[in-house]
Parts: sequence; C-alpha cells; structure tokens
Amino acid sequence: MRGLKAGRKVVSFILSVWILSVVVFYMARLAPGDPLVSYYGDRVEKMSRTERERAEDKLGLNDPVTVQYFRWIGRALQGDFGISYKYKMDVTEVIGKRVGNTLILGGIGLLLTFGLSLLLGVLCAWHEDRLIDRLICKAGTVTSCIPEFWLSLVLILVFAVHLRLFPSSGAYTIGREGEMGDRIWHLILPMTVVVTGHLWYYAYMVRNKLLEEVRTDYVLLARAKGLRKRSIMFRHCIWNMMPSYLGIMAVSVPHVLGGTYIVETVFSYPGLGTLSYESARYKDYNLLMVLCLMSGIMVILCNMAAQAVNERIDPRMRAD
Amino acid sequence: MPGLLEVNNLSVSFDTPKGAVQAVRNVSFTLSAGEIVAVVGESGCGKSVLCKSIMKLLPSSARIRSGSIRVKGVDITGYGEREMQRLRGKLFSMILQDPAAALNPIMPVGKQIAEAVKVHQPKISKLELKRRVVELMTMTGIDRPEERMEMYPCHFSGGMKQRSVMAAALAGNPKILFADEPTTALDVTIQAQILKLFKDISKKLGMSVVLVTHDLGTASQIADRVLVMYAGKIVETGTAKEVLGDPRHPYTRGLLRSLPAFSKGKKTLYTIPGMPPSLLHPPAGDAFACRNEYALRIDYEEEPPMFRITDTHYAAAWLLDKRAPKIPGSLPEPAIHTEDLHVSVETEDNAPSTRHDEILLDVQHLSHTFSVTKKLSVKAVDNVSFQIRRGEIFGLVGESGSGKSTAARCIMNICRPAGISKGVKGEPAKTRILYKGIDVCDRGQFRANKRMLETTRQIIFQDSGSSLNPRMKVCDIITEPMKIQNIIPPRGTLRAEARFQMHYVGLDEGYLDKYPTELSGGQRQRVAIARALAMEPELLVADEPAASLDVSIQAQIVNLFRHLQREHGFTFLFITHDLAMVEFLCDRVGVMYKGKLVETASVKELFSDPKHEYTKKLLGAVRG
Repeated sequence: MRGLKAGRKVVSFILSVWILSVVVFYMARLAPGDPLVSYYGDRVEKMSRTERERAEDKLGLNDPVTVQYFRWIGRALQGDFGISYKYKMDVTEVIGKRVGNTLILGGIGLLLTFGLSLLLGVLCAWHEDRLIDRLICKAGTVTSCIPEFWLSLVLILVFAVHLRLFPSSGAYTIGREGEMGDRIWHLILPMTVVVTGHLWYYAYMVRNKLLEEVRTDYVLLARAKGLRKRSIMFRHCIWNMMPSYLGIMAVSVPHVLGGTYIVETVFSYPGLGTLSYESARYKDYNLLMVLCLMSGIMVILCNMAAQAVNERIDPRMRAD
Repeated sequence: MPGLLEVNNLSVSFDTPKGAVQAVRNVSFTLSAGEIVAVVGESGCGKSVLCKSIMKLLPSSARIRSGSIRVKGVDITGYGEREMQRLRGKLFSMILQDPAAALNPIMPVGKQIAEAVKVHQPKISKLELKRRVVELMTMTGIDRPEERMEMYPCHFSGGMKQRSVMAAALAGNPKILFADEPTTALDVTIQAQILKLFKDISKKLGMSVVLVTHDLGTASQIADRVLVMYAGKIVETGTAKEVLGDPRHPYTRGLLRSLPAFSKGKKTLYTIPGMPPSLLHPPAGDAFACRNEYALRIDYEEEPPMFRITDTHYAAAWLLDKRAPKIPGSLPEPAIHTEDLHVSVETEDNAPSTRHDEILLDVQHLSHTFSVTKKLSVKAVDNVSFQIRRGEIFGLVGESGSGKSTAARCIMNICRPAGISKGVKGEPAKTRILYKGIDVCDRGQFRANKRMLETTRQIIFQDSGSSLNPRMKVCDIITEPMKIQNIIPPRGTLRAEARFQMHYVGLDEGYLDKYPTELSGGQRQRVAIARALAMEPELLVADEPAASLDVSIQAQIVNLFRHLQREHGFTFLFITHDLAMVEFLCDRVGVMYKGKLVETASVKELFSDPKHEYTKKLLGAVRG
C-alpha cells in the first residue's frame, strides 16, 4: 500500500516535469526575439542571409519546433542539456558555477525568513493589541513598502561606503574563494534585503492565523483545564497553524530563491536570478529550459515535503 | 457555613464601539456541594457569560463592573490570570457546547486528557499518568480506553468527543463543573446518555454542576435547582419541581408553553411574542414587560424585586405583589393524553383539505455513496423509497448522519445519486426520483423540464446565517430566483414583490434594505422562507429549518410553516431530528437510521404504535 502510494507520487512527479518542459519549450520559441543575438552578439546585424542560415543550422534552430523538442529531450535524458548560447559552454557548467551562491543566499534567506516570521508572528499574537504588537505591525507595513533596490542602495551607501563595515558587491574577495568567513561577510547586506523583503508578509500571516486559533473553543477548554498560556500557544496553537503556513511557504520557495534578481544585480552577486533573467531576455533556450525545470522541480518537491510534514502534524490530512 | 460558590450582585459588561453591553446584571446565587443547578433562558440572555465570568474566561473586552464571587468563603473577584490558572481545572472546569471544536484536532485524545492531569500533578510518572487517563476515560464511559487514547478527535463520534471533553475537564477533580449547552450539538439518543453521565458523576464525585441550557426538557431531567435568566438577570429561581411545575414568572411560563408537548392538539404552537431586548441599553423596569401580555404599568417603570413564593422559590415579577390583579388561568397542563391527539386529528380532517391522492414525489431505490478514498466509502443513503402525495406534509426524522439531508439533496438535484440499490430479490434496482412523473435523475428528462423543475421545487437550509449571501440585501435575496428565471413579478416590481412576501412571512417592511447579518436567526430563517415561497413552489423541502434557533423562535417558525402550508397548499418535505415538531406539523413520517428508511407511517400510527426498534428508542429518548 505504502509502496503503491510512493509509486503514484513518482509517476505524477515525472508527468508534471514533462508537461512543464513541453510548455516552456514551446512558449520560449513562440515569444518574439532572436536567439542568434545571444550567440553572436552584435555581429548578427551584419550577417548575410546565407550566413544566418548556416548559423541557425549549426544551432539546430531551423527544424520544426517539435523536431527540436524531441532532439532536446532525447539528449537531456542522456544528461546532455546542450550549451548556453551566451556563455558557449555546457549549461550545467554555467549553472553549476552559480547555483551554490544562490542556494546560500536564497536558502539561508528562506530559513531566516521562516524562523524570524514565526518568531515575530508569535510575539505579536502573544501581545495582541498591546504596544509591542502594534509597533511590529506598523514597522512591518512601512518596511514592506520600501522597494528592494532602494533599500539595497541605502544599505550600500551607509554600511559599505560610509562605515566601510561590509563589502558593496560580489560573493567573495578575489583570491579568498574558499574562506567561509569571507563569504558570510559578503552575504550580510544582500541577505538583509532578501529577508526584509519577505519577512513581514509571512509574519503577518502567522500572527493572524495564530489569533484565529487563539479564539477557538479548544483553547477555551485548555484554559478551563488550567493550562498556562505558554503551553497553549506552543503545544496547541502553533501546530494547528503550521499546515497552512507550511503550505504557503512551499509555494513561495522559488519566489524567495529565484526572486533575488534585483538584489543580485545591485550587489553584483553572481547567482541564478540574473542568469534566469538574461536567459529569458536573450533567448538562451537551453539555459532557460534547465533553469525553469529546476524551479519547477523545486516547487513540486517542496509541496511534497510540506504535504508529508502536514500529514504527520494533522491526522485529518492523512488519506487512509 | 458558606456555600461552595457564592455570587453576589455580579454585573458583567462588554465594551463595544457602540457602548457597554450589560450581559449580566446584578446576578446573585449560591451553589452548594454536589448540587446540579440548571441555568435556563433564550440565547443572548447572559447564561454563558455568567459561567465564563466566574472562571474569568471572557475576552479582554469584558469587565466585571460590580459584585463579588466567593469560593468557600474566599473572595476571588479580584484574582489575576496567574491565580485563576491555579484554580481552573482544580476548583472548577468547563464543558463546551460543540465537542468537535473543543478538542484540538491534531492531538491524540489521550494526550489532551493527560495534559489536564499533568497541570495539577506535574511530577506524575508516565505509568501513573496513563493509568489516570484510562481511569478518566472509563469513568466517562469510553470503551477500550487504551486503544482509543491514541486516536485523534476526528476518529470519534460526537457523543464520544463530548465524553472525552468531560474526561479532560474532570482530570483535576474539580469541585464545580460548568457545562455550557453540553448536549445541544448531540443527537437525541446520545443527549440522554450524556445527561445521565452528568448525574452519575456528580453523585460519585460529589461535584456540583452548573448546567447552562435553553432546553427546559434537559433541565428537568437532571437539575436539582433551576435559575431562569432573562436579559442578563435572574428572573426566577427555585427547585426544579417548583420552577417547572409551578412557574411564576411570565417568562418561565412562556418558555414552558413554547415546548411542542404543551401545544399538542392545538392548531398553533404557543410562542413568546417579540425578542429579548438589546443589552446595550436595557429597558427600564422589567425587561420582559414588552413581551408580557399581563404587563402592568409598573413593569415599565420600576424593576421588580425578587418575591418570595416558598423558602426556595423566588421570582421577580410585579404580578406576584399582593396588590397586583390576579391573572386569569394558569399554565395549561401538558397535554400528553392520547384522547387529545385523536381530537386534533379529527379536527384536522374536517378542515378544508388540500390533499389529493396524486403522488407528487416518488422516490424509488435512492442510494448515495460518498467515496472518501478509493477503498473507503460511506453509504449515506441506502435504498430508500417513499412517496409523498400532493399537499401532504411528510416528515423525515433521524439523527445526524442518518442520511436525511443527503436524501433531500438528491431529490433537489443538488447532488447526483451515486450508488447501487438492490431490489427485493437482490437484483440491482434503478434509482429513480419521480417528480410529477419526471425522473429528475435522468439528465435528458431534467434538461427538458429544467425551468419547471427549478421553479416549482424550493429548498430551505438549516443555517440561514450561511445560506444567505451576506453581501446581498434582504430585498434582493428574496427576489433573486425571479431575476434568474426571468419571471415577471406578479406584483409589478421586484421590490413590491419582496415587500409582499416579507409581509406574508411576518417580517417588517423596514428590513427590506438590511443585510442578513443585521437580522436575528429567526428573522433570517423567515427571509429564507420568503425567498422559497416567492416562487410559489409545489414542493418545498426544509432541511432542519428550526434546529439552530431558540425554543420560542422554533415554535414561531413551525407555526409559520403550518400556516403557510394551509394557505398555499404546497407539498412539504420537512426534515428534522425533533419528534415533537413532527408530531405537531406532519401528516406522515419516515424514520431514517444509518442511511436506511426503517419505518414509514402516519404520525398517529408512529407515535401510538412504533414498529421498528430504533423508532421505539427514539420515542423513548424524547419521553425520558
């Protein structure tokens, strides 16, 4: 029974990824633009018709889209995702160089967002309508109105230019690639921007969900039993709120992971955000495909993980 | 010797943007050890607030304005949260109305009980703790406690959930148990069991129980004493026998008379006119005066004091003053004699009858199965067949989960019957629901007669709070079906039509432009009825239309149905769990049990000679 369930999940996973690949492949080719620009740069404008045809032939771009797709998927299944038109090397290599940076920035950012928003949400719900709750809520509203690029620039101006506490750009000091401390030092400013950009939305959600829980009958009964506020909050309410929180979190993982484009640009941080943007803009088809599939797979996996955790928390979600 | 609990002149108010709502006003009572006291009144009379204010479980907007609460002589009025925490569970505990909401859905039941034990014995060993949980579960009548303590609330039935809540509440051996409508959400047969459990446990542990209820029947079954509350005040108090057998306050009389058992053999149920007053600005004098047909002038001017009737029986009504005129007649005897019933049936037969022999609705082999997963499915309705003649009132009775509502939904095409029925010899039988000879389950026939089916059949749901769109005005709600079906309103404009229908169901014209949330439960249900009747239906289905209302309002709604049915002559399928209502309203009854229709009979036959075991049990539970 359990094996069957797992098998069904794997099948649905593969099916989703396949559908995603088809959709992205066709949409990318339907959109206007010239993929040759990303390969040859400005030279494209001076190319003669025969030169163009030869170039397209070389990249396999003048076959029908369906033929292109089957060629792509055939190679992809063997682990060959093609070359990036812009960087003229294997897509996997291009991504491989940057994926670590993004995972560190986005991953730690995600964990921090998750933890801090939970903390702030609980703090607010605990002190509902008292000064600290109002202060945090007001601060959150104001902060979430600040655009990311502006905050990034102000942080650079204050901490990098004036105070010279943190570096203004890059992921590491050249020549000190391996040092963890150096990387963390470079991470602090962009991380601050990533976290503040997302924190309030989730904190506010946690707060409101918790306040909904606090007003339920089971809390009333728990109080009538003589339980302390702390036990009620941490043993009952938080866990009841968790499934919906995890659900939202799972969907927004790629949002936090990949939505770092502005931060990466301002801080010249070599991550996937800029890469995704460029690949879509300049029709770097092979690169675009892999990046889209990666974030798609991320969403599906995160949803599955959230589902599994939620099933553990809430018996009503177990379908048996 | 001081009593266990003494409440003196307690007043509690809620701060709202509109002002202070005085939910409890000058309430005094005492509770002695081992006593069961029932607090009775309509909803919004401050019963629950009274209990919660004693336990200090009210939201922060509530304030104790005056008065004192003493426990064993110690004044706890000024206690803070920390001191109250120590008392809760140990001195007093509470049971809530809806057991489904009172348990944390994601924590095993045993753990929730264990938690309550641990609060008072933090150093208890694991083994000891488990033994105590099992003991508590056994005491509250849960079988196989070792197995069940690992289960989650969603695996428990309503009655079992309430037993678990009780086990958790009893964990700290409280001296007082507040039970806030503990049986309202449960089925009739379970109600009786739970009430018995209260009585047994109270006797066994010497525990006092404060039972909050709007149901006088419940109160009379187990209470030693009764407090009747109205508009935040106690208007009558005495032993159960005195208050229920010899009620002195006009409000208590009204409540008693609204019970269907008292109106047996009458054309209409007695109702208390009007509604409880707003407690934002409580009226001067006796708050009940405007609903009291015997109100004296002084009732509107001065608050009546408590008049002593016997040493234990007191009531606050000016009528009890020596100078007051004697009121004609006292409370009529409850008419439980069968002769009365015969008379009533005869008079009904003499009345101009709208009944024909034509069969309007013919349900054949109706089955509906809900599939939860591929392997697990629930047979909600199992091979149900019955017929309703034109102009008849057919009652469908059964406890929750017996498939009544599902059957109604299939009849109304809200859900499509999905399930296999077997005929007499075990051969598969086709599900057919013939309405005027048209099979509504057949897609082709349904499509061909769509407009007729949608206009001549109407349904009313239980909870009009959620079945009426909160963003639509009453006027638009009533006439929406006409708009959808492009019917030209017979009274000119849609607004005139809405006005007419509202007048017809006894709603004031002033509510035309109000939103459902501004109306009371009874008024909302009238809107729902007006909406259904505006289409002049031939078949009206009402799914527990009065179940969520107060006794006195229930009576109003049932009276309205009876009156309207006579005037309109529509065929009426009335779904309820309340046998008394069926006896009053219906011509024929079908009893459903676990998805099956176990008995169909005329009301007279069913009540005098029930055939099926379950019907007998049901009747037994009601009669006590």
